[in-house]
This record gives sequence, structure tokens and C-alpha cells, in this order.
Amino acid sequence: MSRQFLTGHEVVVQACIDAGATHMFGYPITPGTEILSGWIKRAQEDRSLQYLQTEDEIAAGFCVAGAVMAGAKAFTATAGPGTVLMQDAMSMSDGMRLPFVVIVGQRGGPSSGTVIYSQQEVNLAIRGGNGEGMRIVFSPSTVEELYRLTRRAFNVAWQYRFPTVVLTDGYLLKTKQDVSLDFVGGNVGAEPLVSEKTQKNIRNIYTFEEELYEELMKQKEDFDAMAKDVVESEFYCGNEVESKKYKVESCDELIISHGIVAAAARDAVDQLRSQGKNVGLFRPITLSPFPKEELNEIVRNVKKIWIVESSMGQLRDLVKQNIDFTDFEKIPQVDGLYKPAVGIETEEIVNLFV
Amino acid sequence: MILKILLSGDGGQGIQLIADMICRVSFEAGWHVTSIPNYGLEQRGGVSLNFIQISDKKIVYPKFSKPDVLLIMSSQARERTEEYQKDSKDIKILDIKEIEDNLKKNNVSMQSYNVFCLGMITKILEEKNICKKEDVFTLIEKKLSTKLGWEENKRVWGFSILN
Repeated sequence: MSRQFLTGHEVVVQACIDAGATHMFGYPITPGTEILSGWIKRAQEDRSLQYLQTEDEIAAGFCVAGAVMAGAKAFTATAGPGTVLMQDAMSMSDGMRLPFVVIVGQRGGPSSGTVIYSQQEVNLAIRGGNGEGMRIVFSPSTVEELYRLTRRAFNVAWQYRFPTVVLTDGYLLKTKQDVSLDFVGGNVGAEPLVSEKTQKNIRNIYTFEEELYEELMKQKEDFDAMAKDVVESEFYCGNEVESKKYKVESCDELIISHGIVAAAARDAVDQLRSQGKNVGLFRPITLSPFPKEELNEIVRNVKKIWIVESSMGQLRDLVKQNIDFTDFEKIPQVDGLYKPAVGIETEEIVNLFV
Repeated sequence: MILKILLSGDGGQGIQLIADMICRVSFEAGWHVTSIPNYGLEQRGGVSLNFIQISDKKIVYPKFSKPDVLLIMSSQARERTEEYQKDSKDIKILDIKEIEDNLKKNNVSMQSYNVFCLGMITKILEEKNICKKEDVFTLIEKKLSTKLGWEENKRVWGFSILN
């Protein structure tokens, strides 16, 4: 692990190259532009890397869909209103089970909104298509995790054949910082998904309603089977991180947050615990599939839940959908700090507990 | 130890350039460093900010609301950073307004104001044992010596560091 001074954009580009990606299609939009320009720069040094700057995000998305069908490890990067346009190709990829990989840099919305930061694209990333939202969505909290999850995105997309989103933001992407990247790990290979010779095709439209129903039920079965391998979360209550076995008894109040806000929340937990307060943090690393079992195991033992996010409640809705209160002895109170389109600092989270 | 520096000025004044130099030198000296720029939609004329943190521990969050050092290079920037001055105890404010007369008296060209400001911040970095002024100069030389106005920048640097 060598120490480097890099932006999140540079880390993403490195992760894509290390994951074996060969093609990028994109349309520039802040805060994702430097992923495209950074990839182009690398492509000029390495002729095996290909790119195309398309006329808009719709074209970029369908280029990715076409390239992956032909067996190329392709991806795109977008943000905000670009993520809206990207839904057309992503929805087709939902239906055809394409290993479509997209890095999303969330920015303030609706519409053009602001250009750097938000956490308002959670719904869009998971359920932006006209279907059931069977996508894999990662939410990295640190730049090291941004690297690891970008690499992982290609692996899970090609192994399980579900569209995969790395949901990040301009704070993580634009911050330049000291990073030590872990380059270890293998890559899942890519292969053509269609074949002219053997007339192997993928359907995108169905004549009979029952046919589509059957296909969707099979997709759901595959999605649930995949979820067991892919779902990731972290429970933090002080210096010990145990991702599998939780020390639930040591936490009265639980903060739930994701992405970079969870990094600030983690810092807040350290400060609060040093003041003797029994506070923990639950952080979904995969927003989809959601770490439902892990969440329920923890919340059944806490008195109060604090949702902290840079949105009016997109994470809260996910959490509420996934808590099963049926056999709870006592239902925890749910409160939150919802700040759409602005950042949340450690001090603000600490102040919730004064 | 954590030092939080907020740089502010008009787009084109060279805020991002000096931010890069402060961070690069601190990184080379072995510190944990984060730096995040902030600017609006304007292609030019807007306020340009950079939030820098230098620490002996890993830094988790790049933004902050209470800087230890605030550099203000324009009136627009002064207005924009007003909220960062409230409730900041022991904040050190380096305001171009306070030193402009002195800069004019010494014929410092406006293109070199950022280098002068970098000198003022370098003095703080040296005071805090973060890096040495020679290291900053080596980097400035590397980045700027082939560019227009180098002689002036070199003179301004010396003037800034000695005053």
C-alpha cells in the first residue's frame, strides 16, 4: 500500500482500470466530469482503454448497454439531471439483466439544483426505472471505500448480472487527500451476452403479460439469492467494528446514515462515547440490497433511532421499509436530522445528543 | 493536532493554485491532508473557496464551519465567508484589505497577490512545525519558474516571507 495524494475522481478511474474496465461512455456533468476526463487522459497513455464522449447521457447509457452485451467491461459516470436521463438505459438494463456499471456523483436537486453535493439520488439509484428496482447500489463512506466498492461494482455486476451503481457525491469525488489504496483482489471476467452465430438473444419486450410476470419472479429469486453474498453493512460503537456479530447491548441510541455523512457520524460516535453516551452507528454499505437482517438485529435492542442524511428522508424511508416491528418488545422512537442538499458536519450530529 | 484553513478569493486570483501548494507540501511532510474546492456555476467572476485540513490523524470529513485560519482576497469573498467568522474562537484572519496599501507601496503586481498570501500562510505552517518555508519555495519554483512573471513572483515571495 503506497501513500498517494489523490482526488476521489482519480481513485475512481484507477479502480475502474484495476477492475479490468476497457470502455467508458459519458457526457460531462459536475461533479462527475473528471472521471471522464481522467479516463480519457489514461486512455491516451494506454491504447487498450477506449472512450466516447456522447451527445448526452441517454446515448452514453445505451452505449454502455450495447458494449456490455458485446462482452466489454464498460461503464459510465454521471450526476443529478444526468442520472435522470440515464434511467432510460438503466431500466432497459434492469429488464435485460445487463452488467451496467455507473458511478453517480450526487448533486443538489431537483433539476440542475447545485453542482457539488447532496444525498438526494438514493431513490433514483435504486428505483429510477419503470420496474421493481432490482439493482445493486453501493454507498461508500471514505475514499478508500470508494476504490474498493468501485472495483467490487464490476465484479458483482458481471457475476450476478444486475445493474450496479456506485452512489457517491462531489465531496468524496472532489476532495484531494492522502490515500493508501489496497490493490489486492481478483476480477470477474467479461464475456459476450449475445451471439449472432448461435442466435443467442436477450429479450426486452414480451407478448404475454404472464411471460413478463414469470421473468420478473425469476429475477426476484435471483436477486434475493445474490443479496446473501453482496449485502454489506457496518455497525460501529467505539473502537470495535464487527460486521457480522454485533455488540448490541452496548448501544442505547443508534445513528443510521450512509455515504460521507456516515463518516462524520462515525467521528460523532467517538466523541459521544468519550462523553459516556451509549451511541452507535449503523451504516448500510449496500443501499440495495438493503441489510435488513443486520438492521433488525440491532434496532430491536435500541431505545431511539436517529436518521442523519442530506435529504428529506430518502434513507429514512428505506430504513422504515426494512424494519420489521412485529416481534419487538418495545418500538424505538425514530427521529432525524434531514438536511437536503447540504453537508452535515460531526459537530451537528454531536449536538443532537446534548 | 488539526489545522483548518479556509482560502477565499475571486475566481482567477489563484486560490486553487496556492491551496494545491499548501497541501502538496504538507502531504510530502507526512501529514494527513484534505482539500476541497468550492465554487458556483459561474465560469468566471464567482467566489472561489478551498477548505484545507492538515492533521496527524486520518481526517474523515472534508468540510468545516470553524476555520483556524481564514484568507480573504476580495470583498466578494469577505461577504461569502462571513458565516465562517462567527463563533470561531482564536481565528486568524488574513484579509487583503489590511495589507493592500503596503502591497501597493511596494509595487506588488496584482497577479502576485496570491503568492504573497501563500507566504503569509507558510509562516503559520512553519510556526506550527508542519513544513519548512524552503520546501514551499522549492515547490513554487518547480510550478511557476517557467511561467510568465516568475521574477516578480520570486521578489514577492521574499518580501512576504521577510515581513
